[in-house]
Amino acid sequence: MEVDSPEQLQRKQSTYLSFDENFEIQKEVYRGQQYSQIYFARLHCMRALLYSLVPNWKSHLPVCTVLGLEEGKECIIVGTLYKHMKLKPCILDEYSKERSVAPLVKPHNFIHQDDYLVLEDESGRVKLGGTVLSPSVYVTGVVIALHGKETSAGAFFVEDVLEAGLPPQIERQLKSREDKYVVFVSGLSIGSSSSNPLLFQLLVDHITGHLGDEEEQGLAAEIVHLVIAGNSVEISRGLLNGQNLASKDQSRLSEPFKELDIQLTQIAASLPLDIMPGSSDPANFSLPQQPLNRCLFPGSATYNTFRSCTNPHCFELDNIRFLGTSGQNIDDLTKYSEAKDKLDFLESTLRWRHLAPTTPNTLGCYPFTDRDPFLIDSCPDVYFVGNQEKYETRLVKGSEGQSVRLICIPRFCETGVAVVVNMRNLECHALTFGMQFSS
Amino acid sequence: MARTSTNMRGFYRQKKKNHTTTATGCITKSKSTKTPSFVSDITQTPALHTRDDFCDEERALREFDMNMAYGPCLGITRLARWERAQRLGLDPPKEIHCLLKGGDVKLECFLDGRV
Repeated sequence: MEVDSPEQLQRKQSTYLSFDENFEIQKEVYRGQQYSQIYFARLHCMRALLYSLVPNWKSHLPVCTVLGLEEGKECIIVGTLYKHMKLKPCILDEYSKERSVAPLVKPHNFIHQDDYLVLEDESGRVKLGGTVLSPSVYVTGVVIALHGKETSAGAFFVEDVLEAGLPPQIERQLKSREDKYVVFVSGLSIGSSSSNPLLFQLLVDHITGHLGDEEEQGLAAEIVHLVIAGNSVEISRGLLNGQNLASKDQSRLSEPFKELDIQLTQIAASLPLDIMPGSSDPANFSLPQQPLNRCLFPGSATYNTFRSCTNPHCFELDNIRFLGTSGQNIDDLTKYSEAKDKLDFLESTLRWRHLAPTTPNTLGCYPFTDRDPFLIDSCPDVYFVGNQEKYETRLVKGSEGQSVRLICIPRFCETGVAVVVNMRNLECHALTFGMQFSS
Repeated sequence: MARTSTNMRGFYRQKKKNHTTTATGCITKSKSTKTPSFVSDITQTPALHTRDDFCDEERALREFDMNMAYGPCLGITRLARWERAQRLGLDPPKEIHCLLKGGDVKLECFLDGRV
């Protein structure tokens, strides 16, 4: 039978460069070190940076360490913030004899109006006062510069704050570009009772060009990359309670992975794909999460288009830099600070030049000794976070001409929404899949 | 190891080595090598002057351990800490590096195992 084949649609391609080496811990050896080492590395790098920015900010003031503060003398100090939080869960509360009355506050946010900030460097710490610095905006682990003076009470009265600001960005040439799209999806949660396999199958069919007419397929051919930002599987809690599994339950454990692998094989056969681990995936708990083992994907791992990546994940496509996480960093900021929306948290992490400032305080992290891999040295062009409630996006401009597209990727199992970014102009739109048929 | 001295004064040192008293009465220590230090001499004393017998090399290494500028000393070997300081541009003294590479000195910080 003759199948009339007009010219075959070719999928567009783009060059890929991975920068995940920074987040890999295969070479690290644990020698019993504590977290003081990573805090030292963070403070040292950020302080050197802030010292270089201080002359442009307030050149007339002296810079000193916390120990060198003198009462009444106006100066600038640089250090790591520590936020003392009344409602922060503390392991010692379990052992204290008096149990305080349970606070009437949302359990997923630990802010209290009595929280206060302390600035710390290697010589000492000082409590921060004044109204310029609002404790609800900041979290423990942020390194900033403060202008103020020591009061007679021994606190530091803050008059002005200097954050590091957006990191420098490498300029990219946009003029000669054509439309090329990158699709982001997260929170597939295959194996959970709420995930609908048809929705994900629709997504796969659309991306691989099996849906629609030629025009639709032409649009699909312009998709060059797919990023799955965490929480691809969900294993029911009943199977993970530490009991020995019966043999019939053991197959239930691996079913979500088999289903995921079938879908990923269809995708990998068609276009390059990156899969990141999330909080519900079988990867290590502490950041940086290591790539999911290739043994979990016997079908798709045979393709060279399949890439298992770390969380956080940093890569470049056609010289456009993408950086993002599966959501743990922003979720932790939501618990310990306040902002109007998730995009504000994203922007704050960029301004503080740190992907996850709450590590290792409230978010698990590997105790690095010689570096802090979460410091952002180069401003990305697209900065994403996965597993959020809804799709949100904003374009942020920096003071030196940087421009970043911030994206919150919603959970696909709940919303059916994937996010598509056009690499030509960094515009972003949602790709929604639904099953409601209006009668 | 007992020192060969006839009286107990030599065994239990009563005064710091190489000290001079200034007019105000505070004790200063003459330094042969310039090691950058934020910590005053008074706070360095208890760590350095214990009754354990150690040589000048160990004293220099302990000064390196206690120096705040190079970060915390616990949980990291002295050589790794020196190399980290080098990489971060802190310019640690090269003599320490030579001591650590050659010679049989303790590779771990002197607080290791004690804290």
